Amino acid sequence: MKKLFAALVVAVPVALFVWACYLVFSAPPEPPFDWRLHMSDAQHAAAIAPINHLYTRAAYTVTWAIQLGYAAWLCLRWQSQKQEIAK
Amino acid sequence: MKKVAIGLYLLVTVALLIWAYRQAIYDAPNDAAQGEMFRIIYYHVPSFSVCFVFFALSFLGSIGFLAFRHHHPDRAQIADALALAGAEVGVVFCSVGLTTGPLWGRRAWGMWWTWDARLTTTLVLWLIYVSYLLLRRFAAGPQMQTLAAVLGIFGALDVPIVYMANRWWRTQHPAPVFGGGENSGMDPSMVGALLWNMLAWFLWGVLILLFRFRVERRQQKIAAAEAERALNA
Repeated sequence: MKKLFAALVVAVPVALFVWACYLVFSAPPEPPFDWRLHMSDAQHAAAIAPINHLYTRAAYTVTWAIQLGYAAWLCLRWQSQKQEIAK
Repeated sequence: MKKVAIGLYLLVTVALLIWAYRQAIYDAPNDAAQGEMFRIIYYHVPSFSVCFVFFALSFLGSIGFLAFRHHHPDRAQIADALALAGAEVGVVFCSVGLTTGPLWGRRAWGMWWTWDARLTTTLVLWLIYVSYLLLRRFAAGPQMQTLAAVLGIFGALDVPIVYMANRWWRTQHPAPVFGGGENSGMDPSMVGALLWNMLAWFLWGVLILLFRFRVERRQQKIAAAEAERALNA
């Protein structure tokens, strides 16, 4: 049970980090720099909205990955200290 | 009683984090210029605010250690644990800021990173505290804590430089949103979300800081017991 908990505590932040990377790298291509020649402002806004959405989600996800990762590391450290004291 | 208090604190913190997330994602309006990307500010700015507070705490802990180390060894150990906890949790929050920043910069400026004054001084701050943690991890001997305390004080001197960087040098990073002069400020409909996130992340930070402090105090006690056992052997 303890091992399962430890695995879960480590797996969640790692999964979140991988998910954040996936969000960034799966973003659709950006409009070309000379987009004004090809599209209107509204079309450009519609083209970049999903990219902005993915990046925003990635920023929130990576924040939780780092925070939970650190909390997980602290929990594991606490457990190992407990074992050390028991020895 | 203590466990109930900790549980209650944890509950309030998690509730606040959820509430602050809701404020940031659903309740605050999109920015007129940047659209949804601007919402990164609700995690980016609070991370750095909390990071600065904890580096300041580490600074005070380092001074405390140097002040008490000869006459009050127990107090010195407490101050040292506080300095370490502040530095480590500060690095975590600084890492969040340094990760969310490039994601925002990539969309807003078209680049992940630039050697702008604010970004560079922040990276230097992060590197100083990472070197502090590496020193704590790998150095040994009686002088380690003293060296770490000196480095902790030296590192904290970079905090005001980071804070003032985009006031002193106007480069790529935007001008300060708060306290930046006449044209600075935020729409009132967005301020609430930012303040809720600041409060929530601060409470979360205090929680993990106290946890880290406990872990370090325990480690100090284990080390002291081991040293005593070695002496008696």
